[in-house]
Amino acid sequence: MTKVVTMKEAVAEHVHDGDFLFIGGYICRTPFAAIHEIIRQGKKELTLTRSNAADDFDMMIGAGLVKRFIATFLSLGFFGLGRCYRRSIEQGIPHKIEVEEYTNLSLPMMLMAGAMGMPFVPVKDMAGSDLLNVKSFMGDGKYKVINSPFDGSLTVLVPPLHPDVAIIHVQQADELGNAQIWGIGGDCQVGANAAKKVIVSCERIVSREVIGKDPSRTIVPDFRVVAVVEEPFGAHPGYTPGFYDVDFSFGYRYQQASNTVEGFQKFLDEWVFGVKNRTEYIQHYIETVGYSAFRGLQAEFDYGYPVSYTY
Amino acid sequence: MKKHPGDYTKPELIACCGAREIRDYDVVLVGTGFPTMCANIARHTHAPNARLMQEAGVFDAQPKRPALSVGDPCLNPGAAMIGTLVDIMGMFLQAGWVDVGFLAGSQVDKYGNINTTAIGDYDNPKSRLPGSGGANPIGSLAKRVLIIALHDTRRLAERVDFITTPGYIDGPGAREKRGLPPGTGPQVIITNKAVMRFDKATGEAYLATYHPDTSIDEVVKNTPWDLKVADDVHETEPPTEEELRVLREVLDPSRKLSAYERRGYV
Repeated sequence: MTKVVTMKEAVAEHVHDGDFLFIGGYICRTPFAAIHEIIRQGKKELTLTRSNAADDFDMMIGAGLVKRFIATFLSLGFFGLGRCYRRSIEQGIPHKIEVEEYTNLSLPMMLMAGAMGMPFVPVKDMAGSDLLNVKSFMGDGKYKVINSPFDGSLTVLVPPLHPDVAIIHVQQADELGNAQIWGIGGDCQVGANAAKKVIVSCERIVSREVIGKDPSRTIVPDFRVVAVVEEPFGAHPGYTPGFYDVDFSFGYRYQQASNTVEGFQKFLDEWVFGVKNRTEYIQHYIETVGYSAFRGLQAEFDYGYPVSYTY
Repeated sequence: MKKHPGDYTKPELIACCGAREIRDYDVVLVGTGFPTMCANIARHTHAPNARLMQEAGVFDAQPKRPALSVGDPCLNPGAAMIGTLVDIMGMFLQAGWVDVGFLAGSQVDKYGNINTTAIGDYDNPKSRLPGSGGANPIGSLAKRVLIIALHDTRRLAERVDFITTPGYIDGPGAREKRGLPPGTGPQVIITNKAVMRFDKATGEAYLATYHPDTSIDEVVKNTPWDLKVADDVHETEPPTEEELRVLREVLDPSRKLSAYERRGYV
């Protein structure tokens, strides 16, 4: 049976207050349509994770939905430090979130351990740094240091992560949830497969037959997926390879808005609460920046050679 | 005989200093801005077989515009391989295949320890910075780490407020004692005033060369630790004609590097 629903339905049914969410994306394929819907529905007390968080996490922190953050990094990239993140940590606005600090090696490995059912995973980083001297809500469960049972060397072990829900944006999926990506992967595949449930947001829904023409691109199989949502332009202002570019001028707009609490609230009122869904968002975007700017973000096609799987 | 035109900006000099640290056939894990520029100058001059990768999953990208992030769209088309963080940070970096890693720091100390987490007290910071990201694993596991930093008594420190990324921690042998792989660690700190290298006996950064518009005294005055000076200290070699040609005609025709001047790299 089809799992295709609206984003409003997917978030209402599968994302609950207090949940632990993995949110995919690495500037590449950020599931912004889902993030805006989570903010609109006012989900609370969330724990978030992903390697290299950006404007999407900053926005959820500013909106006051986040209690805890299993972190490696958060910035607005080219546009500097995350304004809402700083206000939360430095001034407790809207409240101070709890942060557990890892790295872009250890966190993906923890998600991989979660995805693979491993009890823990050894990593070679973090040793000798203050990352081992700060512990937050994970307490002594943040890491362990042992002498390797094989060669006696000092070894840092980190725990597996099991998010309640993973939300990812992909290029295409079928209506049962077989999800395909191409381009920069970040920690999307391990993050999705570490979670108990996966919500797939996609640029386009395709048939099972299309999926089967290039099955090596599938990163999550349908039986792990609870909802499929078709959201064209769903990663904006991030990008989706083969569909549209990063929107740097919108990044600047967010930076300027989020410089102040008032500006940030106005931004939410306009771009999140002021629209009902992604379709209205796109309409508002085109009305604001003009159709030619919107068209300018769309990718030109440069197809590779089709591959054949026959024998 | 190499020619040095003399007409160059400070970011161009820094990029060339970084490029000269890269050897042919090096595998280089880069961020955006200086690191990419350094590695590409090297590829177009003395290290044509050096290979670049970005932590988000890209190997040997062929970008048609300067990447503004390590996840930039322009890194996708034409790359030789696109995978995931686990591939780059695990399969290549952690497994020991990365020769050179670049790091920048909001705060860098005399042992090459880097802080990108918080200025001031961790629990109640004056400034919350982005955090480790890929910096800690790169600084822990790349064979040679190149650090680029601003040279003043605020950015450089006797001791960083928070060790996000370990350099030589508190002296020789400290990395190995804590379980980091032998034969890794920072090689050089390249600043807008000087190139500093590390004394194997103490783990401390010392002055190797000072840039043409400064002096040993000025560098020492702007360094908040008792900066030792190399016996053979000399002026930094300015960019060569060939380095500048590659930089301006091939890699950075729109002079994106000049953005660093506004960030204090003058």
